[in-house]
Amino acid sequence: MGQTLYQHIDEANEALDRSKAVIEVENLSKSFGDNHVLQNFNLILKEGENLVVLGKSGSGKSVLIKCIVGLIGIDSGKINVLGKNIPGLEQEELDRLRAEIGFLFQGSALYDSMTVRENLEFPLRRHVAKFGENVDSLQLVREALHSVGLEETMDLMPAELSGGMKKRVALARALILKPKIIFYDEPTSGLDPITAKEICYLMLELQQKFHTSSLIITHDMECARITSNRVVILIDGQNYAQGDYRELENSKDPNIKAFFK
Amino acid sequence: MKNTTLKNIKLGAFVTVGIALFIVAIYLIGNEKNMFGDTFELNALFGNVNGLQSGNNVRFSGINVGTVEEVIITNDSTIEVRMIIESDVRKYIKKDAIASIGSDGLMGNMLVNISPGNGNRPPVENNDYILSYSRIKTDDILNTLSMTNENAALLVSDLLKITQNINEGKGTFGALLVDTVLTAALRQTILQLNNAAYNTEQISDNLIKTTEKLNEDEGLLGALIGDRGLTKKLDTIMENLTNTSDYLTATSSKLETFIDHLEDGEGVVSMVVHDTVFVNDLKQTVANINEGSARFNENMEALKHNFLFRRYFKRQAKKQNKKFK
Amino acid sequence: MTETGEISRFAARFFKEVFKPPYEFRELLRQSYEIGWNSLPLVGLTGFIMGLVLTLQTRPTLVEFGAESWMPSMVGIAIIREIGPVITALICAGRVGSSIGAELGSMKVTEQIDAMEVSGTNPFKYLVITRVVAATLMLPLLVIMADAVALFGSYLVENLKGAVSFELYFSQVFEFLNFGDVIPSITKSFFFGFAIGLIGCYKGYFSKKGTEGVGKAANTAVVVTSVLVFILDFIAVLVADIFYEL
Repeated sequence: MGQTLYQHIDEANEALDRSKAVIEVENLSKSFGDNHVLQNFNLILKEGENLVVLGKSGSGKSVLIKCIVGLIGIDSGKINVLGKNIPGLEQEELDRLRAEIGFLFQGSALYDSMTVRENLEFPLRRHVAKFGENVDSLQLVREALHSVGLEETMDLMPAELSGGMKKRVALARALILKPKIIFYDEPTSGLDPITAKEICYLMLELQQKFHTSSLIITHDMECARITSNRVVILIDGQNYAQGDYRELENSKDPNIKAFFK
Repeated sequence: MKNTTLKNIKLGAFVTVGIALFIVAIYLIGNEKNMFGDTFELNALFGNVNGLQSGNNVRFSGINVGTVEEVIITNDSTIEVRMIIESDVRKYIKKDAIASIGSDGLMGNMLVNISPGNGNRPPVENNDYILSYSRIKTDDILNTLSMTNENAALLVSDLLKITQNINEGKGTFGALLVDTVLTAALRQTILQLNNAAYNTEQISDNLIKTTEKLNEDEGLLGALIGDRGLTKKLDTIMENLTNTSDYLTATSSKLETFIDHLEDGEGVVSMVVHDTVFVNDLKQTVANINEGSARFNENMEALKHNFLFRRYFKRQAKKQNKKFK
Repeated sequence: MTETGEISRFAARFFKEVFKPPYEFRELLRQSYEIGWNSLPLVGLTGFIMGLVLTLQTRPTLVEFGAESWMPSMVGIAIIREIGPVITALICAGRVGSSIGAELGSMKVTEQIDAMEVSGTNPFKYLVITRVVAATLMLPLLVIMADAVALFGSYLVENLKGAVSFELYFSQVFEFLNFGDVIPSITKSFFFGFAIGLIGCYKGYFSKKGTEGVGKAANTAVVVTSVLVFILDFIAVLVADIFYEL
């Protein structure tokens, strides 16, 4: 049973050992006033890897990925994404780098005033050059929606979609630029367990289809189990422990055990 | 997509209508200020502009034909008013047209009135200077005249009352009989009245003549009195004056008859002195009459010295001198 | 005080980025439509009623003085110089300011602004600049519309009560108007529009987390903008006086 359940992880891990890192975070510190959210945090995401960052609510998980994509400035440390040092980048370079990044927000963050299609076209506005001159944006939108199984929603407004559909559309939006890295901020939050599981399998499926690396932030253990190659546990702003899901599940450390109850 | 196009059309319509309204408004305002269309410049010098400002209207015979462009003080007693006038009316404004400062109604803005000049002078040119006069002086004249008029009317009504009373035999004429002082005073009054009446008559005659003459006359005064409103005003005043003098003459003749009667001693016996109030009244009236006629003569004197009529009176005096010679 | 500084910095950022490409023309058109066209019914109705009421209220007094013929010019000057711009600005502060505040506030809260940023679109350009520019451009147009409708309303009253012809009424209105009345009034409308857009965006863009934050953003946007409209109006009158010495 265990063997089949974790088989994909083992296979992936073998490949990962030989691959290079796409994200390197070194000694990252970030505080809001007296609240030291991240302290000397270290993390490495390898190419093709699904890395899950586990942590309690308010432990700074969201801050971590927002720092990595440059949405929040950092106090100290190094963040290297696809070979570029994020804190030192000009806005223009940052924008160019972001064409290689997909981001799935906690609340989907679909633009309320736009249709699904316009939502998907939005990232293309700036980065359409990535696909060459004569790219058909409608074709790209269709492809992306097809890959999440929601082609028929193209002309609907986000308000007309269910929570799970919104997540899928947001996922399609994150994928439309065919990014190298996708960040998932609580991909299953606000969803019923069945839909949450569907989304997790979809993430896995898409990761294999598009050969992306993923950084997944969650407190949903089921999601972590399904999607992770490797898990990082974030406690008190530090990289408390890391390893694959099975290792951590069997850990004796009470702090780690608290997650797997 | 269709939706967006429709929205853009609506937005376009909105913007177009808005800008169009703005342009129309600007055009209309500019039109009122004569900024568009053919115009020419006209100047006039004033001693006092009574608060005229640039932007005020310029009227030609009561029609708006332009605006005041600029009011400049050229020296301590002269103010130059530059006006922008529609080219269309240039041919009607002759070289001898007169500009004057007026106001638009009781509380209205100040404005420049241009009275047309004599028909046979050539029309004004661009940048011409036309003559002007300040209406304040005319106003003063008219005020003096109408005050005189009022005084005379008051006097006449008093007199009428008295004579009526006397002729009806009311009151106490015994007192009058005895009171020679009163009789003497009455005589004096009548004399003065006669005098006043004569004066009034003469003055009104003179005024009529002056007006006629002035109407025919050229030059500043002619043009001034040629102003219809003013002439009418003067006419009314003169009519009133004539009426007054007629009354005066009538009253004094009545009084004279009455006094003659008194001296003849007719109906004296029946009149017993009872009514002291009446006597007092009479005394008061006589005093009033004296005062009134004195003032009247004063007014007339003032009128004589007024610049408008000075020339005429001088001429009159010369004539009399000649007669004496 | 700190807020004033923050708003100034926000405004400075606006001016720094407004002329830098890329320009978001489609979004600008969309916002102009939202702010301009969609405010039109409300602004028009308010303007019309203002014209009616002003005329009805002023008329008896003027009739008493026998100055009925002053009605058009008086109402015209009142509407064009003061009432049109200020009423329109207040209406828009309520309608546009609150909707911008609430929209940006909820976008902030639901991370839509972050989403734009990671999509490589500068949300400041896309959201703030388009709205501020749209409000700045649309408000004068709305003011012109409100003025026109208000004058028409005033004319209707005059026509019913005093039988004044359309032509005479409007020729009287424009006889007493100067450029010194119209130009400053339109100019200050631009500033009103700018203030409405800027404050709405500022409040929304920096709204606190949670639904309460969104409500507060919308609310304070309206309050601050309304006060600012009056302050700006006061300044505008002072400046116009210096320029035109009226």
